[in-house]
Amino acid sequence: MLPRRVFQFFIIYFMFIGGLMVLKYSLELSDYVIPAPSGMFHIFLAEYRRYSLATINTMTVAVIGQILSVIMAFAIGITGRQSTWLGSFIKVAAYNIQAYPIVALAPILFILLGDGFLTRLLIAAMICYFPVLLSVLGIMSKPIDDIEHFYRATGRMRWQLEVKIRTFENLSQLTTVIAGSATLAMAGTIVGEFIAANAGIGYSIRIALYQSDLGKILIALFMIGITIAIYQALLELLGAVIKRAWTGR
Amino acid sequence: MSLVCDNIVFTYPGATYPLFTDVSFQLTAPGFHSFFGPSGVGKTSLAKIITGDIDSHSGRISTEGLKTLLYSHNKERLPGWSGAGRHLKRVIQPSMHAALVELVEIFGLSDCIDSRFDQLSMGQQNRVNLIRYLLQDCDLLIMDESLANVDEPTREKIILAIKAMFPQRFFIYISHNVIEVAKFCESILVFRSGTKEPQTVMINGCNIRSREELSSAALDATLLEIMNAA
Repeated sequence: MLPRRVFQFFIIYFMFIGGLMVLKYSLELSDYVIPAPSGMFHIFLAEYRRYSLATINTMTVAVIGQILSVIMAFAIGITGRQSTWLGSFIKVAAYNIQAYPIVALAPILFILLGDGFLTRLLIAAMICYFPVLLSVLGIMSKPIDDIEHFYRATGRMRWQLEVKIRTFENLSQLTTVIAGSATLAMAGTIVGEFIAANAGIGYSIRIALYQSDLGKILIALFMIGITIAIYQALLELLGAVIKRAWTGR
Repeated sequence: MSLVCDNIVFTYPGATYPLFTDVSFQLTAPGFHSFFGPSGVGKTSLAKIITGDIDSHSGRISTEGLKTLLYSHNKERLPGWSGAGRHLKRVIQPSMHAALVELVEIFGLSDCIDSRFDQLSMGQQNRVNLIRYLLQDCDLLIMDESLANVDEPTREKIILAIKAMFPQRFFIYISHNVIEVAKFCESILVFRSGTKEPQTVMINGCNIRSREELSSAALDATLLEIMNAA
């Protein structure tokens, strides 16, 4: 799982670099616009330590934000699964709020909370929260009649059992959603760092952008890609381990 | 104890014509009873009306002395996170655990009861599901194709065991096997196809029990009666 993910990323990344090189040499662009491979390699050697630390910083914020959003999404999704007025209210509110681009709210957070860790964390959590919430709401609201009928008919159904049944029956879907939300959390953190933060790989990209240094940006993209590939592979692995332990398959 | 259905009419939501009209019958004694008829005539719908799973019907249902009515069917599943035996123990009163062991043996599930539900064959799944319903505290149990995918000798063994172990309980057995319902059921509500009036006819079955012999003449007479009614 892990080597495959990393290998896939390498293929995509180097195809992208190859495309840039084709563009550079076919249009005879200068090294200032698109650096030559040797220049990129030198930038990599010079910057990989700083960019690695910045990527780990960003990833840490993204992971904490994702964990928070998944916990919140499950709490709200489980409450909102019911056909009560509260459940309907949560569903309607979630569907409407998720239609709004959350990233547009980022400046408000920077104004109110400054450009530190908390702001980045909130943006990361908010961006990956709503897609996870909608998936959890969809899964938790859908009865598994052929299993639940017995427990309802005999008066044994409790909300914990209902949640357990629906989680178990949709384990693959939930694993995919949670693994996918890692990308959203990372994107949210980077976008936050673009806007106003003072740390992280998004902040480094912003500085590289001001210097019009495409080489640094490409190295930053490499760091982001490899980190997210490893993180997603670990999430999928964790999902597979949980599934095997729970389903026996 | 009795179950009385009087002039039951049911129409699917959005349908123009009713699925059935004027279905009236009564079951006054515990035992094995049956709903029999072709697919789509309303056997399952009537079963769900009786247990209260469908309430958009007209007519009167009286369940005098019948406190708990359960409906089971052959599409039900047990959760897959642990073995079938463990699930059964969790939903059965400790006082019924001896009966559980006995039923597992009679139902031919001893070798596979610790397997997870999805590792069982369809016939084994149906038998496990039926056991958990049988061991609930209920007065009437509707078994909708509950022994589907089970071989005939085992079905016969199971039905006779159920009749012997739960003599005070009402059972409504929904099946497409005419010989089976004729042989084991006390009364058979035959759903008639097409536009025949009345839409249902109650026929007495042979109602054989363990160690009872059934004459082929009696069985033939019941079969003939069912086929004529249908």
